[in-house]
Amino acid sequence: MKSCTGTPAELCGLPYIEGTLPEHQVELFEAHFFECPVCFAYLQDLQAMQSALSRFPAEKGDAPARRRLSILPARTWALGAAAAILLFAAVFSFRALNLGPQRAPVAQSTPPSTSPANPATSAHGASSASIRPSQLADLALPPFVAPNLRGAQEDAQFESGMKDYAKSDCRDAVAELAKVPAQSEDSRAARFYCAACEMRLGNLAEAASQMRTVAAAGDSPQQESALYYEAQIALANDDPAAAHHYLVQTIALQGDLEQKARDEDRKVHEFLGEQSIENPDKPESVAR
Amino acid sequence: MGDDSTGEDWTLPDGSEGDQARMAAAVAQGDRDAERAFVERYLPRLRALLLARTRNADLASDLLQDVMIEAICALRRGQLREPSKLTAFVMGIARNLLNSHFRAATRQPDSLELPDDLPDLSSAASKLEDEERESAAMHAIANLETIDRTILQMTLVDGLKPGVIAQKLMLKPEVVRQRKLRATRKIIDFVRGRSQTSATIHLVTRQKE
Repeated sequence: MKSCTGTPAELCGLPYIEGTLPEHQVELFEAHFFECPVCFAYLQDLQAMQSALSRFPAEKGDAPARRRLSILPARTWALGAAAAILLFAAVFSFRALNLGPQRAPVAQSTPPSTSPANPATSAHGASSASIRPSQLADLALPPFVAPNLRGAQEDAQFESGMKDYAKSDCRDAVAELAKVPAQSEDSRAARFYCAACEMRLGNLAEAASQMRTVAAAGDSPQQESALYYEAQIALANDDPAAAHHYLVQTIALQGDLEQKARDEDRKVHEFLGEQSIENPDKPESVAR
Repeated sequence: MGDDSTGEDWTLPDGSEGDQARMAAAVAQGDRDAERAFVERYLPRLRALLLARTRNADLASDLLQDVMIEAICALRRGQLREPSKLTAFVMGIARNLLNSHFRAATRQPDSLELPDDLPDLSSAASKLEDEERESAAMHAIANLETIDRTILQMTLVDGLKPGVIAQKLMLKPEVVRQRKLRATRKIIDFVRGRSQTSATIHLVTRQKE
C-alpha cells in the first residue's frame, strides 16, 4: 500500500465520517485505511476537524463581533451616522460643482491610454484587441485520479476507457466510455470524460452537448468542471458571451474552480460590452 | 524488550500479510512486545472506525476497549486460524461488537473477563497527536468564512443533508456541496502543513538529544 497517494481517503473520507458512504464502500474503505498509512492519516485529519467543529459552534464564533457592536453607546452611533451623512453630502456637492461638467465627454469617449481610470481593465483592453477569445480557451484534458479501492466494483468499460484516457488516447477512450451503461454508477463520470476527449479531438459541438448534459443533470462531482469546460468550449468557438454565461454559473457553485473561473471571466469581460456584463442573461448562442 | 519476548523488532511493522502473521504468532507465544506493537498499530485505526460508525466519542471509546481486549485474548489463545488475516480478524471483532451494540444484545463475549497483564490501551503518544491535530483543525476552522463553518457543522456535527442545509441557508444544494468540499480541503491542508512542521521539529529535537 506504499504507492497510494491518498485518493481513496480524499474521495471516501468525508462521506465515510458523514455516514453517507454506501455500506459496501464503507467496508472497502475500512479495509483500505487499515493498511494504508496515507489514507489513515487523512482520515485522522478529517476526524480531528469533525471533533473540533463540535467544540466550535458557529454562533459562538459570531457572538463576540455582535457583542462588540452592541456595547457602543447609542450616542456614538448617532454621532457616527451624522458624520457619515455630512461627509456624503460634502463629497456629493464637491463632485457636482467641480467634476460635473467634465463627466459627460469622459463617458462618451474612451479614456486616454496615458491615464487609465482602471489600470487592470486598460491593460486587458490592450491585450484583448490583439488576441481572440479562442486563445483564452483551456482545452487540456481534466485530470483523472482513480480511487483504487481494492475490490471496488467499477464498471469494466469505464475502467478500460479511463486507462485509455490516462494515456491521452482520446479515440479509444471515447469508444470505451460510450459503452458505459446509463444505469452504471460511473455513467455521469463516463459522459464527462467522454466529452473531455471529444473536446480534445476538436469535436467541440459534441463535447459541448455532452458537457451540457452532465451539468444539467445536477449535483455531481463533475458538475462544476462540466460548466467550466462548457465555458472553455464557448471560448474556443470565439463566443465570449456564452463563455461568460457558463463562467458565471461555475462561479455560482463556489467550488474549487471558482477563483479560476473568476480570473478568466475578468478577461472575458474585455471582449464584451458593458451592457452584456451588467445583464448576464442567457446569450442567444447558449441553446438548452 | 519485555521479559516474554521473541526478540523480534516491532518498531516498524509494515502491515503486510507476512508481518500480520508474525505479529499474530508472536502474541500467541506470549511476546509482550508484539502485543504492544499490536496495540500501537490497531488501536488508532479501530478508534477511527468506531468513531465513524458510532459518531459518538464516548461510545466509540467504550467499544474500543472491548474490541482490543477481545482481540488480544483471542490472539493469546491462538484462536486466529489464518494469522496472515490479522487485520480482517480485528475488523471482524469490531463489526461484531458494533452489531451487538446496535441490536442491544445482552450477550457479552466470553473473552471479556479482564486479564491483569494487558498492554496499555490508552496510548499517551497517540492522544497527544490527536490533540495537536484537533488544535490545528480548530485554528483552521476559526479562519473559515462563517458560512463555510456553518455548512461543515451542519454536515458533520448535526448530520444534516445538503438539501436541508441549502434550505436553511437559502443556498443551492450544489453550492453547499462545493463549499463543503472546498472548506474541508482548506482545513486538511492547514492541519497537514502544521503536522509536517511539528514532525520536523520533533525530529530535529530528537536528533539534538
